[in-house]
Amino acid sequence: MKKKDNKLVMWYKNKKPYSSYILFGIILSVLPILVELKALKYSYLTTIASILIYSIVGLGLNILLGYSGLISLGTAGFMGLGTYLSAYLTADLNLPFELALLISIAVPILVGILTGLVSLRIEGFYLAIATLAISEIFRKVFVEFEVVTNGFSGKKADYPTLLGFIELGRNGTFILIVAILVVIMIITYNLINSYTGRAFLTMRGSESAAKAMGINIYKYRLLSFAITVAYAGLGGVLYMHFVKYTYPDTWTLLLSLNILAAIVIGGIRSIPGTILGSFVVFGVPDLILKRLPIIGQFDGLAYIFNGVLIVLVVLFYPTGLIHVKEKFKRKNTKLQKEEGSYSE
Amino acid sequence: MSNETVKSKDLVLKIEDLSIAFGGLKAVDSLSFEIKEKEIFGLIGPNGAGKTTVFNCITQFYKPDQGKVLFKGNNGEIENLVGQKTHEIISKGLVRTFQNIELIKELSVIDNLLIGSHIEFKASVLSQLLRLPKARKEEEVLRKKAEEILKYMDLYDIKDQLVGGQPYGILKRIELARTLMCNPKLIILDEPAAGLNEAETIALIEKVRDIRDRYNCSILLVEHDMKFVSDLCDRVCAISFGKFLAIGTPEEIQNNEKVQIAYLGKEEDYA
Repeated sequence: MKKKDNKLVMWYKNKKPYSSYILFGIILSVLPILVELKALKYSYLTTIASILIYSIVGLGLNILLGYSGLISLGTAGFMGLGTYLSAYLTADLNLPFELALLISIAVPILVGILTGLVSLRIEGFYLAIATLAISEIFRKVFVEFEVVTNGFSGKKADYPTLLGFIELGRNGTFILIVAILVVIMIITYNLINSYTGRAFLTMRGSESAAKAMGINIYKYRLLSFAITVAYAGLGGVLYMHFVKYTYPDTWTLLLSLNILAAIVIGGIRSIPGTILGSFVVFGVPDLILKRLPIIGQFDGLAYIFNGVLIVLVVLFYPTGLIHVKEKFKRKNTKLQKEEGSYSE
Repeated sequence: MSNETVKSKDLVLKIEDLSIAFGGLKAVDSLSFEIKEKEIFGLIGPNGAGKTTVFNCITQFYKPDQGKVLFKGNNGEIENLVGQKTHEIISKGLVRTFQNIELIKELSVIDNLLIGSHIEFKASVLSQLLRLPKARKEEEVLRKKAEEILKYMDLYDIKDQLVGGQPYGILKRIELARTLMCNPKLIILDEPAAGLNEAETIALIEKVRDIRDRYNCSILLVEHDMKFVSDLCDRVCAISFGKFLAIGTPEEIQNNEKVQIAYLGKEEDYA
């Protein structure tokens, strides 16, 4: 903090967190090797992959909730839309994976913008109601529109084939998910530190200031919702091609709420926080709780765990678990408040 | 758009017959006044006179029921602001502060200033996501500009601190600094001296004059501190219950009988 800082220290302080994101990605990429070496169970890998996919979706929702101050309850619906589109396009129409990916993101964005056009004109919380309705409509469509969706039987798809000839297996797809997560972390960081990110935060903090400073609130609300929906669509595509199976009842309000819980528990307006939150909400029940003796047998244990955790976090760490460490540090060494702790 | 011309060449803002009512209450009642270029103009009146409502009508936070708000913007053209969108007003060169400071407490001081130049950012969303050279360059240029304004406003030392938790006087200064980011032609200040101590008020008077000269702009302000108003303003307009009372130099206004009655009541009232 003092003037003694030399160039190296300054560089470290000013550097973007890209390198830590990439390091995180590299560490995760080692996991499939561990599975091959039998050091890690295959089921763990599946759970971790779904944590990473929900992290991507959660990062999108964090932009909407943490920055723009809007709530969407239809995250799961848009994710489901992504899965079905991608499955239909690759398995039934034999389109290349890349094209299916683009379409499966573009269509949710279009639907999202239409939803937003109607609901964002009025007060912000109408978006929550509209998205809740639209995701229920999606679920009904997944059930009824059997020609494309196979109804209750669910829909299958394969691991992705990149560029038409690189056929990915289970491990390859896992690494693809990791790579996409790292890219998403980086562009999310860029976005929230750009003028668009500041505009989002301004409309959440003070609508009057936003208007007076020339921020078109309607436009920026639409934009942030479109980004959220795009992340959800992307998450859906990755889910489809890793789990290889989609089923209408996966995409319920409960999943939307779980993703919301992940953000609140992990850390609102925090990229590592979102990932930590996804791990806690989607990982801990599967990886730890279920394996506990006796109490692991209870059916609703995950819900109780998440519920209690939300209450505790909101009470004691309203900015999320990611800030627990800082809070301890501050208490013990009375460090001055670090700048910008919310944005990384 | 109006073909109406502002007669005198050096006018920057002309309010004509402005009225707005909330239900049965006429908050502003056919008010007219004009502000010249490089003028510091004060709007005074007892509590509830409708001063802030006038500001909100000028900046289109409220849509006036009748009247015109003619403004000569940065491009030299005269436009009627009535009917334009609230967020379009700043791009004409008209910027405001708020009575209850409206800053974003999760952002640093310098980032709050950058919000003030939102309209000058042009990079596309894609360019921002990928931090393409265009977005980076733009950010760098405007950040430099913000740093200069922070130096000018003696806020440079705290530029990277969060706004949340700063003392009141500093917040007022940050908000004033934010208005300078958009090359303003007219700055509207809503009670800039409220809550400041005497030394801070004197410093603010100097600063506002200096801003006028440095940025070549006009200033319209509402303030209850009469000493502040008479020391700083070139001309003052007094209103009461939304109606025009008098206009003139601070001395003329202080000696105006109508103004005295509005503030203090008629002598007979106490008889």
